[in-house]
Amino acid sequence: MEFNSVIHGENLVKKYKKFELNIPTLDIPEGFATALIGENGAGKSTLMDILAGIRLDFKGHLQFFGEFDEKDREKNPEVKMRIGYEGTGMYYMPTWTMQQGKDVQALLFDTFDGKRYDALCEELAIPVDPKKKINTLSDGNQMKLKLAGVFSRETDFLILDEPASPLDPLMRDKLCDMMRKYLLEKEGKRSILFSTHNIADMEAVTDYAIIVENGKIVEQGFVEELKEKYIVVKGEGEDREKVKEILYTMNENPYGFEGICLAEQLDALAGMKVLTETPSLSQICVAVMKKNSKLFQQKEG
Amino acid sequence: MIISQTSGVPIYQQIADSFRADILEGKMKEGEYLPSIRGLARDLKISVITTMKAYELLAQEGLVTAVQGKGYVVNPQDGNMLVEQHMRKVEEGLLQAIGSAKIAGLTEDELVNMLRMLMKL
Repeated sequence: MEFNSVIHGENLVKKYKKFELNIPTLDIPEGFATALIGENGAGKSTLMDILAGIRLDFKGHLQFFGEFDEKDREKNPEVKMRIGYEGTGMYYMPTWTMQQGKDVQALLFDTFDGKRYDALCEELAIPVDPKKKINTLSDGNQMKLKLAGVFSRETDFLILDEPASPLDPLMRDKLCDMMRKYLLEKEGKRSILFSTHNIADMEAVTDYAIIVENGKIVEQGFVEELKEKYIVVKGEGEDREKVKEILYTMNENPYGFEGICLAEQLDALAGMKVLTETPSLSQICVAVMKKNSKLFQQKEG
Repeated sequence: MIISQTSGVPIYQQIADSFRADILEGKMKEGEYLPSIRGLARDLKISVITTMKAYELLAQEGLVTAVQGKGYVVNPQDGNMLVEQHMRKVEEGLLQAIGSAKIAGLTEDELVNMLRMLMKL
């Protein structure tokens, strides 16, 4: 499916001693929620930090909203204000009180809406006490406070690094609702990029998925298209060896086997006693990650 | 609209089925717009791309048309054509049943009785 890119990147490279992020082309579709998926250390946060402007020491070119480059993002406050970022680390100074946290955001961001912030704090069940220090809150509540902040501004693009991780199931559901509402408010003009390990919880809000392994994009596409590209195959053993050749990954047990293969290879299964099913996003991700993971390959080899 | 996560029928298919029924039954009329893609996604708690795929399926079937910047509008439905289409399906089905009845050695009366009985179910 064709789409406009809210962010377009070319030859993005960031080298560390033992790791290199290398992305020849990057396109984040406009109007959708894109999930960035991959192992710890795959380069998700590095990429997000580059896009958000937290990390400026990288090679390559970026284009935002179809017209601005990374210099515009830094020098033109109007571009920067349109981007909202939520990271995994401390965002508020740990010794600030909740009131100070709110005041600072009102000072920093022109479009920060204090009333909306209060309403979101209530909606997210944050125990608000203006005098309470932020670092005394639980991980979940600190994340909720960061989310309330970023959703209280008028932005067109959100970069959320692991927003679901510290949240309980109820709050993950709430986060999905907030994301859908955000996309709805400017129908088709707002976009979200978020990283997550909680694929199953976030699948119902994921439109496009980018899977990163060892600093490279190994698979990407609209979820509905990926679900047609891959297929789950289950069988009871008889054809195990033949099926093994075409499967991406395979789990075996005494009763049978289960794996994922490309749907275009389905012809090769003709005549075998196997059951095929549409995979969930999480099944696709695990299969693609296993195939590309360094760890797994070392074990296999 | 009831969306089942475990029925095995893809969610986009279930949404398309529901709107298709509404359009064919005349509950949604010519010129009416389907709910906005992101509005429906929010209401049904599903992703935008799933809703989009459902609408694209209906557009492929000619039931709705995408209007740039406005959404998906219900096309005029030819009532007679629909009735005819279904009549043809009934005929096909009956011919198949008659064929099988012959092989099984059923008499005409027995076949008609069977049809009457089945209609009451």
